[in-house]
Amino acid sequence: MFILITVALLSLTAFTLLILRILYPGFRYAWLVAAVGGLLAWISVFVWQAFMPTSLQLPAWQPAWLFLQAPTFLADGIGWAFSLSLITLCLAIVITAVVRSNFPSPMNWASILTLASLGVLASVADNPFTLVLIWASIDIAELVIQLRFVDDPKLSERVVIAFASRVSGTLILLWANMVSAASGTSFEFQSAPPQAGLFLVLASALRLGVFPLHLPYPSESSLRRGFGTGLRMISAATSLILLTRIPTGNIDSPLMPYLLLFVSFAALYGGWMWLRAPDELNGRPYWLIGMGSLAVAAALRGNPVGAAAWGCALLLAGGMLFLSSEPVRWLARLTLIGALILSALPLTVTATGWNTTGGNAWYAIPFLVVSQAMLLAGFIRHAQRITTRQSNEDQPIWGRNVYPIGIIFLLLTGLLLGFFGWDGALQVGTWVWGIIASLLSLGLLWLTPRLRILNPVRAHWVRPMSPSWLDWGYQVLWGLYRQLGRLSDLFTNVLEGESGIMWTLLFLALFISFFTQRAP
Amino acid sequence: MNAPIIWIVFPAAFAILLLPLRNQRALSILGGGLAVALALIAQFVPIEVAMLIGPLSLKIDSTLSVLGRALIIQPTEGPLLALIYGAASLWFFGAEASKTAPRIVPLGLIITALMVASIAVQPFLFAALFIEMAVLLSIPLLTSLYSPPGRGVIRFLIYQTLAMPFILLAGWLLVGVEASPGDLALAAQSATMLGLGFAFLLAIFPLYNWVPMLMEESPPFIAGFLLWLLPTITIIFGAGFIDHYSWLRSSPQLIVALRSAGLLMIVTGGLFAAFQRHLGRIMAYGVIAETGFAILALSLDSRLGIPILFLLIPARALSLAVWSLSLTIIKEHTETMRFRESRGILRIAPFAATGILLATLSTAAFPLLAGFPAKLALWEGLSRASLTAALWMGVGIVGLLISAFRSLAVVSMAEEYTSWEPRESLMQMLMLGLGVIGLFLLGVFPQTIQFFLFNLPAMFEHLGR
Repeated sequence: MFILITVALLSLTAFTLLILRILYPGFRYAWLVAAVGGLLAWISVFVWQAFMPTSLQLPAWQPAWLFLQAPTFLADGIGWAFSLSLITLCLAIVITAVVRSNFPSPMNWASILTLASLGVLASVADNPFTLVLIWASIDIAELVIQLRFVDDPKLSERVVIAFASRVSGTLILLWANMVSAASGTSFEFQSAPPQAGLFLVLASALRLGVFPLHLPYPSESSLRRGFGTGLRMISAATSLILLTRIPTGNIDSPLMPYLLLFVSFAALYGGWMWLRAPDELNGRPYWLIGMGSLAVAAALRGNPVGAAAWGCALLLAGGMLFLSSEPVRWLARLTLIGALILSALPLTVTATGWNTTGGNAWYAIPFLVVSQAMLLAGFIRHAQRITTRQSNEDQPIWGRNVYPIGIIFLLLTGLLLGFFGWDGALQVGTWVWGIIASLLSLGLLWLTPRLRILNPVRAHWVRPMSPSWLDWGYQVLWGLYRQLGRLSDLFTNVLEGESGIMWTLLFLALFISFFTQRAP
Repeated sequence: MNAPIIWIVFPAAFAILLLPLRNQRALSILGGGLAVALALIAQFVPIEVAMLIGPLSLKIDSTLSVLGRALIIQPTEGPLLALIYGAASLWFFGAEASKTAPRIVPLGLIITALMVASIAVQPFLFAALFIEMAVLLSIPLLTSLYSPPGRGVIRFLIYQTLAMPFILLAGWLLVGVEASPGDLALAAQSATMLGLGFAFLLAIFPLYNWVPMLMEESPPFIAGFLLWLLPTITIIFGAGFIDHYSWLRSSPQLIVALRSAGLLMIVTGGLFAAFQRHLGRIMAYGVIAETGFAILALSLDSRLGIPILFLLIPARALSLAVWSLSLTIIKEHTETMRFRESRGILRIAPFAATGILLATLSTAAFPLLAGFPAKLALWEGLSRASLTAALWMGVGIVGLLISAFRSLAVVSMAEEYTSWEPRESLMQMLMLGLGVIGLFLLGVFPQTIQFFLFNLPAMFEHLGR
């Protein structure tokens, strides 16, 4: 029931903003409505603590013998931590919106609040069936929201690619369901067969929201900061939640060591690119790749709580950095404390990040630790580069005072999760790796001005014509698609041409003889 | 009162009276209203049960004898009639928005009545004649007096007509099988004839090339109506055959044949859809895949397969109604439905573009949409039987999804700084809006239509029990 109250607060606020926008386009207190709605939702999540774990089951689909699962939600520790992180991010986006050049933008806030409400539902989804439904809602909502902004045909193509990439993840989750059905078990998170575990990881990775690398509004920084951060982060969080639901030891595949190595290299790539990114917004996809890979690696090592920890850190620490747009020195120093969220030191939110249950992952740990160090060093470097930030001259005076509250909300929530409310709180964890990563990151920071290779690369729009390896991959796939298309056209032309009926009858005869041969 | 008179003779006679009428709205309301009334009567008024209304005793007989033949509508077939006429009403109400009411309402009512007659007639041999009559009546619906019929229409007529001799021959041979059940050669011959007949009727691979051609050259709304009605009734007619003959029901080859045919249609339909550059042709391949899903459902254990089959029917009807209406509206604003001409149509016809996208996604089993519940159940059931078969079904779904993404990319790809200027009429927006709501309603709460579907398997004596 309390789950619904939080979700209702978010969605009702979004609905109110929408109605106000339609009926009273000049309404002056839209920001206040959004902020109060977000704040109430944030407070309501703490009420969950009094009743956890609590579940909510919606009416099952009929006929019951066809649909074995019903949409069910479970508010447990991990779901709570994710929900709190999501709502904090949403609240921070609304609060920091006061200094954006596009203020006020009630439609953007309504969109973010809607996505956050769906994100909360995804965080507490208790079975894959429910998660599939919520993911689909998020995909449709994101598609509508993004298409609203896009004018350039090339950018609208990116929206479609992003949508297709996320739907592929959903399809893989559905396939995991089929694998489970084939082994005669009902597909629940707790009882998923080991063969299905790998598909769960793949589904989550595909939905991480990394493809395409850049969202369709590169030139408008105000959109990228607030709204873009919301889209990217909520999308990533709702995919990572799946990793936290895979029970320990439920990923059984001979491909596991290779997959873990692949994920480690992905983390290294993300960390390296993040460290060398010209600024935090251009580095954001690499932040997602790096942090997402650490979460996936934790899940592969049988550590769902660790995966949740990296997921929350991705949202909270990332949110702090991406929403910071003002050159406020004391706030930049405060942001440094946010590095603790990423450190995996005892009593931090990521303290459980390096725990490993069963199996042996020694071959991947060094790469992952180095990746964490690069992500941490990149975080500190981007947080300190306030000279590149330009203040918005048109911002209201009260806005300058309100804006830091949004960042502080993220910081405090990140610190709070290290101590309170879920399975990852008050943990010492495998602190050795945390200390090594922290020391390595300090070393990287010391070396950055001294080694040219560690210096930031140019911004991506400076060299738009140089194709990346990803572009090359797209080209190969597109070429393959066109070849298959030609084949399909040829076949269709034969069947639909003047002699089509004869060809059809010939094919029919061939099929009949084929099946007659196979019949016992 | 007589059931065949109410659900066959009366709608056909009423339709003849509507023929001279030219008012789009009046036709739409009259045709849709009659279809809804017939659906409600079928659902709520029992057949062969005496009812007391005040001093009057009312009973609907199930049988009507004509020239020594019988039209029989069993009491258990009431929900099926409700489903057929309920779904037909979607097209009749949407006829005004598509501006095709003077053609689709009267002729559509007659075709629906003839297809109902094909299920009701005894002996079943005569069903082939009713189906052929429906096919012949479809020709004036698809063509115009002022232009010669296209190749798609001619092929439609040829392929559907070719089915008749096979069904008639099968019927003749089946009498022999009933007389001597041990004659395996005769049984094999009759099964082959029956299979070929249904292969032509249902446009099973590779006999479906007329479907995309028809969608390319005919009014999409009318083609959509025929592509919903004819395969749906034919599948139920086919299921009736399987139910009637125990040797057919228990034959392992039948399961293999149904599964192979269904998968072939899903895979080829999905893959061909993925490579099309014409919105109408994508719908055609979607329809082919939908028929594949229905055939695949018949290949499962009937206790699972028959409820899935009936769950597929309303989803298919609603998806196709939304899809074909959307295409009709888009055709109003573009020269052809080719990708080249449909670029950026989202900004001119947002409801129609959304309708196309959601209908394609629904066919591709996208969660939250009408097609998802039935296809999820089908996919799970198939996985339990064979994971390889489930993988092939997945391939078909991927193909359909790719076609949906490509359509989305095309309709949303407007020239830079093109403003949003919806040009759809209020009626078109209303009908499509309701259709889209329906797609989501059936996808999120499939239990809402269980009231209509629950008793449907009872129309079969053996299947689904």
